[in-house]
Amino acid sequence: MEMKTVTVIGANGTMGCNVAGIFASFGDAKVYMVCRDLEAARKAQIRATMSVKAESIAKNLIPMTYDDLELCISSSDLIFESVFEDINIKMGIYAKIEKYLQPHTIIGTGTSGISINQLSTCFCEKARQNFMGIHMYNPPYSMTLCEVTPSQYTDSVLLSEVKSYLRDVLHRNVVEVKDAPAFMGNRIGFQFINEAMQYAERYIDNGGIDYIDAILGSFTGRSMAPLATSDFVGLDIHKAIVDNVYENTKDYAHETFVMPEFALKLISENKLGRKSGCGLYQAVLHSDGTKTINVYDIASEKYRPKEKYVFPFAKHIIKELKVGNYVNAFESLVNSHSLEAIICIQFLIKYVLYGIVTTKSIGENIHSADDVMATGFNWVPPLAVIDAFGGVDIFKKIVIEKMPEDFLSKIDVDEILRDVPKSKYDFRPFFKAK
Amino acid sequence: MNMKIYVLGGAQTDFERNWSKEGKGVIALLKEVIDDGLRNIGITYDDIIELNKQGKVACFIGNFIAEYYVNQGHLGALLTEVNPAFYGVPSARYEAACASGSVALDAAITKIRADDYELVLVIGWELMKTVDSKSCGDFLGRAAYYEDEAAGIDFPFPKLFGKLADETIKKYHLDEKRYLDNLAKISVANYANGKRNPNAQTKKWFMNEAQATTRGTATNSLIGGKLGISDCSQVTDGAAFVALASEKFVREHFASSNFPIVKGWGHRVAPMKFDKKIEESAGSEYILPWTRQTVLDAYKRAEMTVDDIDFFETHDCFTSSEYAAISAFGITEPGHEGEAIDSGRIAFSGDKPINPSGGLIGCGHPVGASGVRMFLDLYKQVSGNAAGYQLKKADNGMMLNIGGSATTNYVFIVGKNEEWK
Repeated sequence: MEMKTVTVIGANGTMGCNVAGIFASFGDAKVYMVCRDLEAARKAQIRATMSVKAESIAKNLIPMTYDDLELCISSSDLIFESVFEDINIKMGIYAKIEKYLQPHTIIGTGTSGISINQLSTCFCEKARQNFMGIHMYNPPYSMTLCEVTPSQYTDSVLLSEVKSYLRDVLHRNVVEVKDAPAFMGNRIGFQFINEAMQYAERYIDNGGIDYIDAILGSFTGRSMAPLATSDFVGLDIHKAIVDNVYENTKDYAHETFVMPEFALKLISENKLGRKSGCGLYQAVLHSDGTKTINVYDIASEKYRPKEKYVFPFAKHIIKELKVGNYVNAFESLVNSHSLEAIICIQFLIKYVLYGIVTTKSIGENIHSADDVMATGFNWVPPLAVIDAFGGVDIFKKIVIEKMPEDFLSKIDVDEILRDVPKSKYDFRPFFKAK
Repeated sequence: MNMKIYVLGGAQTDFERNWSKEGKGVIALLKEVIDDGLRNIGITYDDIIELNKQGKVACFIGNFIAEYYVNQGHLGALLTEVNPAFYGVPSARYEAACASGSVALDAAITKIRADDYELVLVIGWELMKTVDSKSCGDFLGRAAYYEDEAAGIDFPFPKLFGKLADETIKKYHLDEKRYLDNLAKISVANYANGKRNPNAQTKKWFMNEAQATTRGTATNSLIGGKLGISDCSQVTDGAAFVALASEKFVREHFASSNFPIVKGWGHRVAPMKFDKKIEESAGSEYILPWTRQTVLDAYKRAEMTVDDIDFFETHDCFTSSEYAAISAFGITEPGHEGEAIDSGRIAFSGDKPINPSGGLIGCGHPVGASGVRMFLDLYKQVSGNAAGYQLKKADNGMMLNIGGSATTNYVFIVGKNEEWK
């Protein structure tokens, strides 16, 4: 499949701009970057070239506006829609472009959670067959995950060709995901993040946000702690994802998708995270040029300096990871009975189980959750966590020993862990010694 | 070579990893590569203890300059911190700048040939991302004649290999644009090959001819004379492990002797200073005559010619060094290297592929590890274990590993046993 010309609608947004860079570089496609005005498009063109570290692709990136839609759409092999995450706005765009579509034009939406089936109904019968979800993660240059979601109308041969193109030409890690709220990466990732947020509220007297982040830090298999990730993504985006999952799914983890009160309050005050200057955290620049980090104290509703927690279990794990003693590190986590160690291991267990349950329900195969979490979040993948603990049999015993009765009563551990294979991923690089 | 030296297998770390960012140090690095390597060859730490009781095993470490990067010397003995199985095992570090891995391999091979040991473990490693790029460049300057060629100079090696590019153009009266376009093609091919290699540093990175030929921009700045960033291998963390064994060991421990064997080797040292190299090469057809001689030595010892070699792993620390290697290998006459590039002969699908692994530019260049990594890739190709980057025909492979500005030159030929074929 050849994509000589691509139109990205909403190319001034972070994802639209970065995805334009991927098409123009690896795909060597001419990319029309449709933005609200030419100045925004020109700026996006520069950002797109820098996102793949290659000024040479600038010639492939053509700044355009919505006035040029006819030219762009009618001459494109693929349209990538990346406008604001609102179904009415997206439908409005589809109505505008439909008349210019050629019979062969592929339409991909970058939505991170709106139903592909629902969106597809905006198009006529023929165009519907060419429509699908193409969900990349930010920044796509280093996060190679691409969740592809067909609607019930998508042509299966076309779907397969697009997947091959994304995989072989754009070097994406392609995972086909069923049309489910938030697809797979965000569903598994934000289950973890949102429950961490609920725990911040529950352990308000122990420190709240930075307390939980210290328990679930980089040594637990991620580059960034979960609440720092939420702050980075933006609380509004976080809310949109968990609300969508909460409203449209009903599995055993349903209640973990409810955003806690304190976060709703922060959103109402426009304290959305890094992009608005403060949120769960707040960077403070001092007159001498140094920077310190404050954290939102849920109890006092004020920012205070981030605490440097030293938990003995975490200190020990980090010491072992530093010299590559992974077995000792996980044994010490299993054998530690402090409140923090128990919270930590329970989160890892819940993550693994939810990952497997989710991949079985909406993934391509048992490895799909691993693919999405490793290449979309840079988190240790669920099956790799099982490997880290010593394999399925040992892991199952740990689940029974560590998880409370009320949790175990909601799931069938044997069924979830039945025939679970080894991960394709090496767990070692994910567990940081810090 | 009379005595057969068998290559049992090995492992390399993922060169994409930044061990400093992971908060991990050299012990973690060594543990991983040795654990993986031993698992790959089916030998346990208990086996090492037993073999050591009989004085049959030894370790050879290749590393350039850990004293600067991680404040650590005495690198042979350091293995005792990796696993107590190494207590008592003879082990030492070998150094020849970026050819450190090869000098460790050479020592290991020699010890088997002398019948001193039956199993030798060769580990090359370097952790370079512990410092900023400018300090890194300065440390590497110690592979040149530091006082004259590196002290006070930012990024001395790109400048030396930039000079190699200048001298190549001059010596063979090449069209500058065509030569630089050829270098860009070398870069693009190595990036493309790296995409197939799951352990490559650049597996997610973008490079194409337009980018590689557009030197002097913000994303491809000039770093040494006419060379841009796209012409350089990048700072890399990593380790590689290879296990070699005597015929006796193979017969006693394995059901089959179908392992690749070392067929030839060469080791020559050129004048330390780059200017003297060029001065000395004036009367030679070759821009790097000692590199050529090293290749000839290996062919002679293996009783082979370039016609017998199916693929090459070369030391493309810079595109200009891979360019010079093409004629040194004998793929073309000197001065005609561009023809092999333009015709696709050295491409992955060509008849003389160079760097199917991605080489130093695509796969990465943790300097002390590179020789061992290349040797491991010869093993992988010959034994059919290169997975996504397996070549169709790979009976015999040659590697060229250089230290400094092509000062230390090492060549090995690894291939299939006659009986195996």
